[in-house]
Amino acid sequence: MMNSRMMIANIALVCGLLMVGTGCESWWGGDDKTDTPEITDVPGSITDSETGKNVTGARFEDTCKKVDGITLSPVYFAFDSYALAPSETAKIEQVAKHLLANASHVLVVEGHCDARGSAEYNLALGENRAQAIRGHLANLGVDGNRLQTRSFGSEKPAMAGSGEAVWKMNRRGEFALYQK
Amino acid sequence: MVLALLLCVGVGSQVQGDPLQISIVKEGAKKDSVSLAGLRASGPNGQLFVQTLTRDLELSGWFKVSTGREGTITVVGGLLETGSGLQTSSKVTWPGKNFNWSRNSASKAEVRQAAHTLADEMVKQIKNETGMASSRIVFINRRGSNNGDVYVCDADGGSMFQVTHDSAGVIGPQWGVSRNDILYTSLKPGYPTLLRQTIGGSRRPLASFKGLNTGGAFSPDQRRIALILSYQGNAELYVLDLGTAKVTRMTTTPSGAESSPCWSPDGRSIAYVSDRDRAPNIFVVDVATRVSKRLTVKGSQNVNPSWSCKDKICYATLRNGMFQIAMMSPSGDGSSELIPGQPEGSEDPSWAPDGRHIICSARNTLYILDSLGDPAVRLIQSSGNWRSPDWSK
Repeated sequence: MMNSRMMIANIALVCGLLMVGTGCESWWGGDDKTDTPEITDVPGSITDSETGKNVTGARFEDTCKKVDGITLSPVYFAFDSYALAPSETAKIEQVAKHLLANASHVLVVEGHCDARGSAEYNLALGENRAQAIRGHLANLGVDGNRLQTRSFGSEKPAMAGSGEAVWKMNRRGEFALYQK
Repeated sequence: MVLALLLCVGVGSQVQGDPLQISIVKEGAKKDSVSLAGLRASGPNGQLFVQTLTRDLELSGWFKVSTGREGTITVVGGLLETGSGLQTSSKVTWPGKNFNWSRNSASKAEVRQAAHTLADEMVKQIKNETGMASSRIVFINRRGSNNGDVYVCDADGGSMFQVTHDSAGVIGPQWGVSRNDILYTSLKPGYPTLLRQTIGGSRRPLASFKGLNTGGAFSPDQRRIALILSYQGNAELYVLDLGTAKVTRMTTTPSGAESSPCWSPDGRSIAYVSDRDRAPNIFVVDVATRVSKRLTVKGSQNVNPSWSCKDKICYATLRNGMFQIAMMSPSGDGSSELIPGQPEGSEDPSWAPDGRHIICSARNTLYILDSLGDPAVRLIQSSGNWRSPDWSK
């Protein structure tokens, strides 16, 4: 007769196999289409050589619930620039006001570019647009731990087409609120 | 002399699409004539071998294949059909020298692979150069906004294979340590994540920290990866040591974004893009000292560097409102030259393992350019929006 420890071990084994078998434990698992997939070699965790601390991977998108129904106006940028124009800072002040009044909300600032230029460079430019807004929010008194960034480069334009009227609407920072 | 060759072969069975219509017109750089008339091919596998070898030799840029028996170089031998595959036994002869070459191939894919191997062996033995026929190219089909997937093909455009099935934003695929190992940035989870994937196998996130995770480039010694991260608050260039799992920051540019790292062949330097001086330009950093210097001076934008085995950096430069491919010395002497014969609006260059040819994207497809002056060859004929090619080393 099976003792309880063996039973638990068997249940754990079956659960493990189920997870591996369905491949649905992670968003990236969908491509395990071969019968004997090779395990790709990546480090389990990564340490910063200067600080000696683990580089953390906790993202609000994965750990918090999205907050819908609150409209925060996009911030627009000049071509190939992540400098905040004086005309745009009032929008960032509105966002700071919301965060200071809603302590349970955290924010992901999302950077976007127009379609021109290299996809790789645009991803970095979009990140720096998001970082410029993040820095301004921190200057306005929002705790930096409540602020994260993500860049979509030129992958998610707000408006389709080409020409300056379209491009200027696509060079932007957007805001996504999450509940802690 | 203009030599035009028209071949029709099927696209790899994995990808549905138009039949691959291949048209090569190569002239310009000096070539040796090769006769393959002594290769007796009776069945379909033998014909596939000769077709593949012919195209590989033409694409190599060193040879022109003659239709008759005359040639400075002759390849003679037998191609014996074995049902599903081919037994190849051949002798390659050129003035004063020769070598024997034989191979058993069990499938159509192996027949093509065998032809690639012989083509590379001829380039190596006859020209004392590295061939490119056995190498592969990874690239993207960008179907629309935030909708793309990673594909690979052989250096002749054949054996195309769709690697991912995400229909999501994907950026900058690059080769890892083997011809089955790739890195790319996916936007599928709703933020940029750097992934490592075995072609036809599994994949794992290499970096999915807060902020930016992109630009994975393996060092020549295969022990380090150059990547762009922003977990410290600004996009910077880092090097990840796979042995210690530690990252070290290479740049400190509070007012600059870094992108597109690539290693020098000796593994001591990394070329990358930075806009610390306002517009994006190519810089090079000494990995040991972490001292950077700017290389490009001309052009309103300079992006996508690729460093060849012959110590040249090619990149895309925006001049007069149009991207073009140029190459320069990594010494930073300020001189650069445009690659001849390129289509208008060429972007995303990547050196072939021969240090002579460059794959790039233009007009929604991929072209092979020749730094020695042969005309551009269109690599992908099937319809799509083919971008961001990277050539395996």
